[in-house]
Amino acid sequence: MIKFFSKPYRWAAIFAVLLIGMFTFVLLDAFVLQKSMVVVASDSETVAQEVSSTPTDPVITENSYADENIQISIETVQKYDSTIYVADIQVSDPAYLKTAFANSTYGRNIKATTSEIAATQNAIFAINGDYYGFRDAGYVVRNGVAYRDTAGDGEALVIDNDGNFSVIEESQVSLASLSSNAWQVLSFGPGLVENGQVVVDSSSEVGQAKESNPRTAIGQISELHYVVIVSDGRTTESAGLSLLQLAQEFQERGCTTAYNLDGGGSSTMVFNGAIVNNPTDGKSAGEREVSDIVYFGY
Amino acid sequence: MSILDIKMNGQKNKIRKTIGVYAILSLVAIGINFIYGQFGHGVHSAAMTWMFLYPLLGGALFYFLLERLKSGMTRFAPFRFGYNSYNSGIATLTVGSFLKGILEIAGTNSPYLVLFTIIGWLFIAVGVMVFALLSVSRKKNSAPQKEAPDYHSVIE
Repeated sequence: MIKFFSKPYRWAAIFAVLLIGMFTFVLLDAFVLQKSMVVVASDSETVAQEVSSTPTDPVITENSYADENIQISIETVQKYDSTIYVADIQVSDPAYLKTAFANSTYGRNIKATTSEIAATQNAIFAINGDYYGFRDAGYVVRNGVAYRDTAGDGEALVIDNDGNFSVIEESQVSLASLSSNAWQVLSFGPGLVENGQVVVDSSSEVGQAKESNPRTAIGQISELHYVVIVSDGRTTESAGLSLLQLAQEFQERGCTTAYNLDGGGSSTMVFNGAIVNNPTDGKSAGEREVSDIVYFGY
Repeated sequence: MSILDIKMNGQKNKIRKTIGVYAILSLVAIGINFIYGQFGHGVHSAAMTWMFLYPLLGGALFYFLLERLKSGMTRFAPFRFGYNSYNSGIATLTVGSFLKGILEIAGTNSPYLVLFTIIGWLFIAVGVMVFALLSVSRKKNSAPQKEAPDYHSVIE
């Protein structure tokens, strides 16, 4: 054995193969291999509150929707060398603010495009969520059901049973103390606006990114009144927003709380089955598959 | 005669060659970080930025010091075992650091990363222990070694 490995390069060659194997396995595990943990049987099982399930005579235009429970209007704004899509949404009940998993399954690397998930759920309006399935930590509560109680190292958005937003530091607040009153908990961040004040600055960025990027974020103006902003980015037509610029947009619209969701190539806004923005990862145009969406619908 | 008395042939320039290879690997690590940074949309990872320190300090500098302080060590057969083990440790830590960087930039993590750290430092510890043992034994056996037969004459 010793003689065998005493020959030059034998050990190096064998160890290199093992190391490359480990390297490949970890990458596959992180990015490709699917792990289904919970299959969400049907939407009705997770909706905790009874709400009307059939809208009567909705008024639908290219950029608006209105019925007796849900009113949505979308405007496109050119600012900061970027194209920004702003949706103003009012609902009559917090149960109309929903989330859904790709393939209706909670797990790792289970993915579908935002528009595919939205179509499955008959969503009127949808955006990408927090891409929880790309990480092993970060609270996950969806439609009143807790799926992951492992605290991440950042901030989470808690949407309570009354539909009100709050931003918590996961390391300081246990999910157990939240879950009885948590309708949705999304874990990406950071929080952009809290108590009406911008809480990020020019150095606050996701993963030390200092560049403008496509963004997706959600905020609350008042009870059951929300704003969703998605920006195009990484293109010559639209640079994208910094987190500070994004936060300022929410503050200007009167949001008391706003929270940054997964962005970059994930940023997608879907309205009435059509993609509103121009998703791109900077290399190729088109939707990226994600783990989950936030949507408004029945 | 112990195994430590066995000399190895063809080891004259081994350390210098190793230092050179590690220096090149450090540059490669810097290059990989630079190229990867071009596609990271401004997202950087300290693990990837500083991964070149493993081959530079743990590799090139370590062997430079080893050559200066314990230059005769490479002549003994167990040196190959320690050398393999130590180099494997540096390689494992460097690759682990690169992997951590990839995952951090992508915004994810892996429970397996800690294995790279554990295995890497374990190999380094074994390598350093072998080098230390050789260093001590070399002092003790410095006189008889001059008369010892070379590696190939004993093995073959």
